[in-house]
Amino acid sequence: MTRRILVMLAILAVIAVALGFYALHLKRRVARDEQAAAEQIALTPLGNGPPEPVTLYVANDSDGTLRKTQLSVALPVERSERARAVLRTLMAQYLKSPSPHPIGPASDVRSVYLLGEDSAVVDTNSAFADAHPSGVLAEELTLASLVVTLNANDSKIARVKILVNGQERDTLAGHADLKRFYEASNIGQVVKDMQ
Amino acid sequence: MTSRFPLAHNRSRLWLVVALPVIGLAVLIAHLATVHAQAADQLTVYSPQTSYSVSLLDVKGLPYAGLVELLEPLGSIDARPDGKKYKLKFTSPGGRAVEALFNEGKDKAKILGQNYKLPANFVLQNGRGYVPLSSVSEILNKLLAKPIQMHASARRLFIGDVPIRFTLDLDKSNPPKLVVSFPSPVNPTIATEPGRVRFTFRREPVVSNGQDSPNFDDPAITGAVFAERDGLAELDVMATEPLVASFADGGKTIILAPVPPPPQVTTLPAPQLQIPAQILTPQPKTPAGPRFLVVIDPAHGGADSGAAITSSLLEKDVVLALARRVQRELASRSIAAGMLRNSDVAISLDQRAVSVNAARPALYVTLHAANTGRGVHVFTSLLPPTSQPRDGFLPWDTAQATFLDLSGSVAGSVAAELEARKLPNTTLVAPLRPMNNIAAPAIAVEMAPPDDNVDNIASAEYQEQVAQSIAAGIAAVRSKLPEVRP
Repeated sequence: MTRRILVMLAILAVIAVALGFYALHLKRRVARDEQAAAEQIALTPLGNGPPEPVTLYVANDSDGTLRKTQLSVALPVERSERARAVLRTLMAQYLKSPSPHPIGPASDVRSVYLLGEDSAVVDTNSAFADAHPSGVLAEELTLASLVVTLNANDSKIARVKILVNGQERDTLAGHADLKRFYEASNIGQVVKDMQ
Repeated sequence: MTSRFPLAHNRSRLWLVVALPVIGLAVLIAHLATVHAQAADQLTVYSPQTSYSVSLLDVKGLPYAGLVELLEPLGSIDARPDGKKYKLKFTSPGGRAVEALFNEGKDKAKILGQNYKLPANFVLQNGRGYVPLSSVSEILNKLLAKPIQMHASARRLFIGDVPIRFTLDLDKSNPPKLVVSFPSPVNPTIATEPGRVRFTFRREPVVSNGQDSPNFDDPAITGAVFAERDGLAELDVMATEPLVASFADGGKTIILAPVPPPPQVTTLPAPQLQIPAQILTPQPKTPAGPRFLVVIDPAHGGADSGAAITSSLLEKDVVLALARRVQRELASRSIAAGMLRNSDVAISLDQRAVSVNAARPALYVTLHAANTGRGVHVFTSLLPPTSQPRDGFLPWDTAQATFLDLSGSVAGSVAAELEARKLPNTTLVAPLRPMNNIAAPAIAVEMAPPDDNVDNIASAEYQEQVAQSIAAGIAAVRSKLPEVRP
């Protein structure tokens, strides 16, 4: 190996190390900004009315349970928009740091469609499914919390189906079935079993 | 909604900063580096307990085999990289633990305390240790203390006295018959091509009988050719007429004979009857008795890695290791268990359900792993129970509903065994695919780390305890589960 190549290698190594540190610094900054942006999206006020009590079933990874909590949130008047606002409030709990049940940064609910009186189709964004932690229990906790939270705030919603970016998917992150409607009563029993 | 954060600007700077040194180094590496590794072919391993395939890596043009992949189906293995060192501890069933030590990028190793020189450098990739294929026989011989035969060009490795040799006997009566006899039952795939019938042995350690291409002095069955390649064995029988194959003697004998002529039609004007150019009709088998079979489904595989437990530990690998342990534990309790996959292959969810239902098992167990939560989660299907009878057709989407009572019994029994071993556990229902489509009692087991150290999910001791709990739980309720006629 010639002296020239050795010198070039040494210079490149020094540059690589220096740029590596800088890249690490930028990576941390991007992650911090993304987290803040995600929280900003989900925590943005949702309605114009006076604050109302909202019941949330918040998943907790540490013991695999759903915990019932109440918050006061300003909600829109229209029923499907109210349902969307409730779910975004729930997701905001998961996007906080530290999170009891982390989900992908920038996860969001695009729309909630009501089919008749008793069925809701929740259209989530790609970030919700693509970056969701993979695991049977982790995915089940997310689905269960969405379904029972919807039902707790609009008791007429008895059946819920989840879409991702307007499309049907096989599973949330490799495990939980997204091809079917979930019965709130059935999931409610699961929640009781989890307690 | 507009973000107030300069994400795009920071991202482009980050990419630039990362790309510059990477491009520079890549150019140098292209000139100076000597090691490149890529996926290559497979090695089939035959042992007295099981047959399995191991993916080989191509490193600088040499095939390499993964030590964990080689040893895992044969016993209990604990192997972890420690800096540039790779320490391995292997215990064969009923045997004592043996240890080996390898060094990344070096050809010097220690096996059972003795120095050993590899024919090429040891390779560590993504936390997995690889040795040159040409050294595998010697390494396994030392670790297993058993004779090893390697058919290197055919990618086949035989542990112990497992090779099966066949005999060919041609009966020249009219019509002639070729009798192929094996010392133990075989189950080859059979294909016909113009002028020959091909038997392909993937899982059976069939080897040459010393005469690879005998010629028969017969106008109908003219000869045979035996060959090994790509991890399998093939026997071609040459013929000038279409042949029919039938199995006899419990699968130990295959009889080949020309297709009998079609019956004479006398009552109708004779139509132009045509015999297919190639015809093969296995003789109807005598009905087998009921049997108790457990199908183990290590989830994910291939491009579907499942959860990333750690940066170097994937769910698909963890569950395959656990599945092999469960299979061994069931075998030690005299329970037959089949694996839906025994290597890193992708199988779709629907394919899994179809394969399981076709096997008509007494129980289906799907295995998962995650880094969330602690201990073991045992699941049954979330479907509401139904009183629909089990015999007859079942709806695909809710086939599991009618088996929920039995599935619940198994889950409860496994949970009790986990409890007895003081392993943290939870029993729940879950909307897990493809459990709903399984027409048999079914449970899912998700193994999470036993404590705060996520790496401990790969601990041999922990996995062994989980496997024992699953097997013991199944054995305890065996009498409640219906044996199924295959």
